[in-house]
Amino acid sequence: MFQNFRLAMAWVHTWFGLFLGFVLMVVFFFGSLSVFDREIDRWAIPESRFEPQPMPSFDEILKPVFEDMQPSRESVDQMRSRVDGPMPEHFDTPVRWGAYTTHRDPVLGLFAGYQVPNAHNPDELVWGTRTIDPRTGESLPDDQLKIGSRFFYPLHYSLNLHWKDLGYWIVGLAALIMLVALVTGVIMHRKLFRELFTFRPNKSNQRSILDLHNLTGVVALPFHFMFAFTGLVIFAGIYFPVTHTQLEPLHDLHEVMESQETGLPHERAGVAAPIASVDAMVAEAQRRWAARDMAGDVGFLALQHVGDANGYVSIYRAGTDRIALTGEGIHFNASTGEVLREDPPPSAVERIDEFLTGLHLQHFRHWLLRWLYVLGGLTGCACIATGFLFFVEKRKRQHAKRGQIGSRVVDALAVTTVTGMLIATLGILIANRLLPVSLPARGTWEQYCFWGIWGLAMVHAFWRTAPVARARLAPAWGEQCWAIAVLAVSAVVLNWITTGDHLLKTLSAGYWPVAGVDLFMLVSALVAVLTARRLQRRARPQPADSGELSGEAAHA
Amino acid sequence: MSTAIVSHAQRLSRIAAALLGGYVFAWGFIALGVAAAFAAGMPFHDAEHLFSLLAFLLYLVTFLWSFAARDSRRVWLVLAGGGALMAALASLIQHALV
Amino acid sequence: MPENVLLLAALLLSVIGLGWFALALDVHWKQACGKQARGVASARGLRLFGGVALALSLILCLQVDHPTMAALVWIMSLAGAALIVAFALSWRPHWLALLAARPPRRQAG
Repeated sequence: MFQNFRLAMAWVHTWFGLFLGFVLMVVFFFGSLSVFDREIDRWAIPESRFEPQPMPSFDEILKPVFEDMQPSRESVDQMRSRVDGPMPEHFDTPVRWGAYTTHRDPVLGLFAGYQVPNAHNPDELVWGTRTIDPRTGESLPDDQLKIGSRFFYPLHYSLNLHWKDLGYWIVGLAALIMLVALVTGVIMHRKLFRELFTFRPNKSNQRSILDLHNLTGVVALPFHFMFAFTGLVIFAGIYFPVTHTQLEPLHDLHEVMESQETGLPHERAGVAAPIASVDAMVAEAQRRWAARDMAGDVGFLALQHVGDANGYVSIYRAGTDRIALTGEGIHFNASTGEVLREDPPPSAVERIDEFLTGLHLQHFRHWLLRWLYVLGGLTGCACIATGFLFFVEKRKRQHAKRGQIGSRVVDALAVTTVTGMLIATLGILIANRLLPVSLPARGTWEQYCFWGIWGLAMVHAFWRTAPVARARLAPAWGEQCWAIAVLAVSAVVLNWITTGDHLLKTLSAGYWPVAGVDLFMLVSALVAVLTARRLQRRARPQPADSGELSGEAAHA
Repeated sequence: MSTAIVSHAQRLSRIAAALLGGYVFAWGFIALGVAAAFAAGMPFHDAEHLFSLLAFLLYLVTFLWSFAARDSRRVWLVLAGGGALMAALASLIQHALV
Repeated sequence: MPENVLLLAALLLSVIGLGWFALALDVHWKQACGKQARGVASARGLRLFGGVALALSLILCLQVDHPTMAALVWIMSLAGAALIVAFALSWRPHWLALLAARPPRRQAG
């Protein structure tokens, strides 16, 4: 089909990279933001701007809250069709209670799952959630949109497209194509090490864009590869549900064997039993972790078969001192407090798996590494964006001559996914500060603003890329850069006006979550202005390319 | 672009082989790997993790091979045929165990 | 606090190490130092220096964190350092002449 191996790989790199590049851009950018998802939550929910808290006392704080909880109306409504007869007014049989926190969470998220009488599948539960201030146990409004952890973060791995898990599949395909693009890119590049540090900003557009594409692709190559790969590994169960379809019988066989081995009861006993002091169990768990020389903060606490003689409490460690996503879970009998089981040390395969997942999900406490991850992610964005630009630069003259619109369409889509995405991101933050607090379903409106603004940016991009069809630079880029600068500064100012937390205050108090988001936006504004001015200079006619492009560029 | 004259059908066939053929092959690989390793005494979850991890790398290789290989019929034969064969073997092993 | 100092030193060493690696390449040597002679032995010497600096950087990372985490910090710091060296070469190439202990090339770029 192709003349030779290298041409085949170049074709794959160009076309798959182009089509999935738009998705990859979103994945890399919102992945980078997700490194600081909790901090963005603080910016968006001013009531929660206080220091991170450890897991509070279960006996004093959590238990009364759990006892007060009920499943959410949505969860009950969704379940209705799978139940014989009416739904009860009050759900009395909690099956599972859970509380999860990290070293960056001031507020604590709780969840509870309840048995539904006469359900077709008795294992299916209805769920309720609650967010509390762990210092007092006071419930906080749970309908505020956590923009970082509940909007940007899921956007990163599912595009917030939940119909039939379609978003996961698109992102999965994009991750595979990222791996493909990296390998084919290395094959095309040839001078990987000799040109590792090469960036010639003063050469032709096409040359300097390709330099930047190679530079950003190569210096963070291990990062790009590991993140695309581990992202796939994390969702392996969705992409290859082998053990829940074809090998389901084998899976069931193993589950029976496993529950015999762990000794943790799979079913309720049907005999009511009180809950012993969970705080005492936590103290015991921490004593055991300390004996193994591990940091002892509780990350996840769960009660199974609540109020039953078979009930048990599972306590997991927040693995802030390791890359690997470990829990070192310890399980207690809920009514007697005796230790039922300590999770055995992981096998070699589990170790690898925990390392790969932990590397991607970053539960560790290491601010430098977090920032380096952001750098890696943004380098990925730069690599993808320069890929689009190179595609357009290489073809626009030829397309202009032949009257084809291909490069204009690609340029418009590139504007949409690069600057347009930044505008939408700033847009949701501004909406978050401007929409009235009393607005019903405020979080939903914030999301509408995000998509609406992105849509407008797209319209603008298609309108203002017309000159590309005449082989000139699209004004859309520069104009959207100015929009970014204005919006970023507005967001910072609006945060000041609506909450009183201006930079001098947050910086002098050392409150980095909000100061960091503000500073990041100001830096973005500065970069946007510099880019816009550089684009204005570039828009002036340039001397024709001197044919200096190497063979690598010629057939990319 | 490439100067070779390539029909759309051929190109589509390669793309489908890379995506779908590669998927079937990776599926078969996981299924056979998990079933065989479990039968040989490896813990179930270990087998599941190990083979899905390897499967993604395998998918990457078969994807590139689908475009690099000279004969596209052979690509289809190996990927779809091999994948189906491995999946069938996995079911046989499962049948013997359960 | 000393942890931050160690990490900062590790970052600095990665930049310096990769800077030496870059100077070992003729084209970048000329960017930084112009026509001053370097000689073949010196290219090897620069690579050796570079290797030692990167190794030291890794050792510093290992002083601060669990080995798995230190390795990641080090690899990511190399990515950042490579970007810094590349951008320095494009915009302020004479800065790298400092690493070569040579007077910088006269005229810029």
